[in-house]
Amino acid sequence: MAEIGNYLEGDVADEVRHQLEHHLSHCQTCTILVDSSRKTLKIVTDTGTFDLPEATFKPIAERIMARIRGDGK
Amino acid sequence: MSYFGGVDLGPSFEPFATFQEQFGFVPKLFLAQTRLPRVIEAESALISAILFTDKALARPQKECILLVLAAAEGNSYCFSLHYQMLKLLGVPEQRLDRIATDYRQGDLSPATSALLTLVSKLGTKEAVAEAAAQGLSNESILEAILVAGLSRFLCTLATGVGAAPDFAPRPIPAQQASFIQGVASAEPFLPAPDLGEDHPPFTFLRAQFGTVPKVFRAQTLMPDVLEAEAHAIRSILLPEDALSRTRKLDILRTGFDIETLRRHGFTDEQALETVVTTALSSFFFVLQVGLGGGSDFAAKMGAKKAYLSATDQRHMPITVSVDPDAECVARVQSGDLDAFEELMSRHHQRVFRTLVGTLGNPDEACDAMQDTFLKAFQHLASFEGRSKFSTWLVSIATNTGIQRLRERRPLESLDESDHDEEGFRPRQVQAWTEDPEQLYSQAEMRSLVENGVMKLPVKYRMVLMLRDIEQLPIEEAASALGLGIPATKARLLRGRLMLREALAPHFIPSGDRGSAKGVAN
Repeated sequence: MAEIGNYLEGDVADEVRHQLEHHLSHCQTCTILVDSSRKTLKIVTDTGTFDLPEATFKPIAERIMARIRGDGK
Repeated sequence: MSYFGGVDLGPSFEPFATFQEQFGFVPKLFLAQTRLPRVIEAESALISAILFTDKALARPQKECILLVLAAAEGNSYCFSLHYQMLKLLGVPEQRLDRIATDYRQGDLSPATSALLTLVSKLGTKEAVAEAAAQGLSNESILEAILVAGLSRFLCTLATGVGAAPDFAPRPIPAQQASFIQGVASAEPFLPAPDLGEDHPPFTFLRAQFGTVPKVFRAQTLMPDVLEAEAHAIRSILLPEDALSRTRKLDILRTGFDIETLRRHGFTDEQALETVVTTALSSFFFVLQVGLGGGSDFAAKMGAKKAYLSATDQRHMPITVSVDPDAECVARVQSGDLDAFEELMSRHHQRVFRTLVGTLGNPDEACDAMQDTFLKAFQHLASFEGRSKFSTWLVSIATNTGIQRLRERRPLESLDESDHDEEGFRPRQVQAWTEDPEQLYSQAEMRSLVENGVMKLPVKYRMVLMLRDIEQLPIEEAASALGLGIPATKARLLRGRLMLREALAPHFIPSGDRGSAKGVAN
């Protein structure tokens, strides 16, 4: 399982990669696992989740800067 | 590991297929450059024309030149690479050690010995005349000089990208070979047939430089190499997506040092392109000195070692830690408070996501963000730039979040063993639809992902947030979390698999649902 994680990261030695790809060529379950994990990763990367709206950040930033400038005086 | 994060270019990326075929693997030197595929393509074309294509010299002769010159440069990466290549070509280790120490004691053929003498005395007409007197053809001499240029190119790249060794590094024997004896001579050392002014590489060069630089006119014995060099210039020097051409010409003219890069806040792509541009410059400089005929490229590269830093970097990689925030941080440290506002503006999303990952609650994350930035400001005076500012800031956010979490839920374990990864077995093993992102609107997709991420246990959520959502390199995520890389990878895998399980019901075609089963192995 750990090697599949490394494989998804493109971080396996060539020999291991060949072995994994050989295994994937005839194991439907692992092929599905790798394919759906790749798709999961792509969805997470593409979706742009957990954005903090600028309108929420602005007053926080103002409070922080006020504290900093106040401390600096 | 290298100075630059890697990108998966997929198995069909042609240069890697070429390297696989020729080296038996893809050297990490090239894996370290995947942020700029176009430069790898240009490098592959250049290496193919000079090293992989048999012309006057055989591959083992060229590998011998590369080995001896890598030793002369003190470049451990290239020395180990070419040592291994020669071993694969059937040269026994004992003999390789003798060649590396003193090629004259290496039982080499008179021709190979003459080639090595030539490249160890590059830059003098006498060296070329001596090689010719030993029976080397003009083509052999030109090819040897090209291989010497390639050696400098590869050594500069390896040093510049901080390539991790492909093999256990071999000690470089103390040896007497030197590299580049002379300076660029106005007199050409080799005859060069006239290819006509309409020869395509010449037309291209004239369009780019206003003239055909002399170093190219001196290589007309090998038109295919000229084409590969033109390709390299087209792919490395001309594109402006990372660095402007003017900036690259500055680099070609003056060289650079790592501290300057740091001060100018180069991105990884810009720093990588700087390294590759410098390597190309050093390649042409060797050709210019080796072939004679006049100077086109500044002699700044005349130093024996790759010109990357003022200090001696022979046995340790240079530190190319390019922090785009360095300048802004320095301004804050010198009292410019507005610069801190700029840093907050650049990084508030990252800090927010880190805190959501830790606390699992957006409102609480907003609250903790203020603490995080105030702590960062209080400690910025002691920040020395050993890591990127963003990594340092994420560490503060992580620690702030963990501290709050412990106050809130003292019993929740963040540090338990990761051995339970071995016991995890995915249950959803039906094939997903081909293009899952087409099934839902962007807002629906965001909601699905956010809900799935929020349901993960905190230790998996934290690492997934940093690596997959913030897209920090694994080393930076590990550093920010205070974990080792293996533990970070283990948690990341578990988090991804758990998220996959959570998302699967939404992306399995409806006819295939309802037959969930565990994976046996």
